[in-house]
Amino acid sequence: MITVEGLTKVYGHRTALDDVSFEVPTGEIFGFVGPNGAGKTTTLRILAALLEPTSGRAFVDGADVSQQPDRVHERLGYMPDFFGVYDQLTAFEYLDFYAACYRQPKARRKKIADDLLELVGLSDRRDQSVDTLSRGLKQRLCLARALVHDPAVLLLDEPASGLDPRARVEMREILKELQKMGKTIMISSHILPELTELCTMVGIIDHGRMRATGPVDEVIQRLTSGRRLRISVLGHKEEAVAVLKPLPAVQAVSLVNGAIEAQYEGDDAAAAGILQALTAAGVKVSAFNQLDGGLEDAFMRATSEDGG
Amino acid sequence: MNRVAIALWNPIVAKEYRSRMRTWRSPLAMTVYILLLGGLGWAIFSGMSSAARNSFNGAQAANYGQSLFLWLVLFQMVLLAFITPALTAGAISSERERQTIDLLFVTKLPSFSILWGKLLASMSFVLLLLLLSVPIFSLVFLFGGIELDQVAAAFLVTSIAALTLGIIGIACSTAFRRTLPATVSAYGAAFILLAGSLLFGLLFPTDPDPNATTAPAPPAVTYLSPLLPLITIGTNGPINGYFVRYGNGIGLVQGGGMACSSGPNGVQSCYPVGPNGAVIGKGILGRPYNPPQASGTTIPSGLFSGWQYWQATVILESLICVVALILSALLLPPIRHLPWRRRARTGTAGVTDR
Repeated sequence: MITVEGLTKVYGHRTALDDVSFEVPTGEIFGFVGPNGAGKTTTLRILAALLEPTSGRAFVDGADVSQQPDRVHERLGYMPDFFGVYDQLTAFEYLDFYAACYRQPKARRKKIADDLLELVGLSDRRDQSVDTLSRGLKQRLCLARALVHDPAVLLLDEPASGLDPRARVEMREILKELQKMGKTIMISSHILPELTELCTMVGIIDHGRMRATGPVDEVIQRLTSGRRLRISVLGHKEEAVAVLKPLPAVQAVSLVNGAIEAQYEGDDAAAAGILQALTAAGVKVSAFNQLDGGLEDAFMRATSEDGG
Repeated sequence: MNRVAIALWNPIVAKEYRSRMRTWRSPLAMTVYILLLGGLGWAIFSGMSSAARNSFNGAQAANYGQSLFLWLVLFQMVLLAFITPALTAGAISSERERQTIDLLFVTKLPSFSILWGKLLASMSFVLLLLLLSVPIFSLVFLFGGIELDQVAAAFLVTSIAALTLGIIGIACSTAFRRTLPATVSAYGAAFILLAGSLLFGLLFPTDPDPNATTAPAPPAVTYLSPLLPLITIGTNGPINGYFVRYGNGIGLVQGGGMACSSGPNGVQSCYPVGPNGAVIGKGILGRPYNPPQASGTTIPSGLFSGWQYWQATVILESLICVVALILSALLLPPIRHLPWRRRARTGTAGVTDR
């Protein structure tokens, strides 16, 4: 649904994007992760046909963003990382205006606006002035705006930034609902735990270069080869540490907040071997958890390598 | 037809009307406009009424009417020169500042429709102001001396000049990212159009041809200013002496006039004199310079010879409108397909590949 091939964007002497390539199949939620200035917004703006790439190509639902911007705009709903407010318009009028800009027939516009307000939970704010809505409600309205022409693809630039935890959860639920409706969604975000839960695919970008891309589990596994265990024991911890250190799978052992953290190399069988060694040595293990660094860990590892 | 209707009437117009008329600024602007114009009309009217109390006849009434009309059209033009750039100079740049322009670019609206919508909404307000001024202008008909076609021509010139200022404002708004420089440049352009072109005529007046059989006309640049045709419409007379160089290089002669003397053959010859009565221009071989004087409201010579002043102004300003609109339409899209930019992009790509 979204294909990016060797995308490069140069501003003067600064390379914002350097040969970025990735693909997002239909119906996936693609988390686009990277530190500030990594090139996320630049990529999204190129995909929205708002910025011309220096080289490379990008396609949205088969339409070339450089050659067929009108076709791209038909298929695409774009939500930027800011919320532009028009004074003196109500939430309904705001959606009605954009539905008209997308050439939706007048007879259908009322239903579109009302349905979308219901989808994003703003039906009770229908006649409230847009500029008086809270940030979270504005974000939801902005998402509704991106949906007025029922696009197949959604590009969301930092949709959860600045939202309180409750608003984030609500936004996440709406996005899940949209995925069920068959939309392909690309989200750029800093809030990694949420992406782990929401996204089916992830791409990590840093300094304009794609560090990793693919299904979330695959990327996490690829980037986090060394895994960690958190072990709580009854009695002397030193005994347990003495048992753990000589084990060939264990790379490092440390005490963190009263528990033992052991970094090890290997799969689940290696973890089971460690537990077996502890119990065999008579250590009373009260808790044994695998610490899944997840996307955050993968992100830190991917972005710490040759930063520039 | 449907496509034309869609292009001309688009959602931006409706949205702009809605936003504009819901604020207190629009009624305030209309009130201030009417008060200023009405105040001037009333001041002139009462001045004339007191003057006419002593002696009054039909010819004087016509003069009063003409004078009132002239002041009103000139003042209305100056007012609109202040109002129109303010309406349009922020049209596009404020969308950029509010960060809503991208949201419009990703819709199905073509860039030209965005421009047109903004322009139509702003100019409709100007049209509303012009309509509001009609009752004040009707005062003129109490005195007489002004025909309906003069009023129509004056309103046409004023409307086209306001449209030109509006389109220039839109062009500035498109060219500059911020509203402040866009507004400053739009007012600069308004000053150049109204006064700068006249100043050009003063600094570089027409050199009359001594052998010419037609009266010298002001330089064509001066026709850009709507003030010139408004004066000819208001006075229903020609422009004589202004913007024409008489010997010493002074374009506009003040306090002087034409001195005439009868020759031996009984033919009267005239030549311009300065404020002190001294002859300031002479024809070749010391003979009195006798430039033909223009009559009527047509341009006597030059590029627009035979045209009415207002016709030349309307044509020139329409050309400016077309050029400014084309430039704006080229500059507005986020991805500009300009030939010189394409060449530059190819060059940049080469650097990147390296």
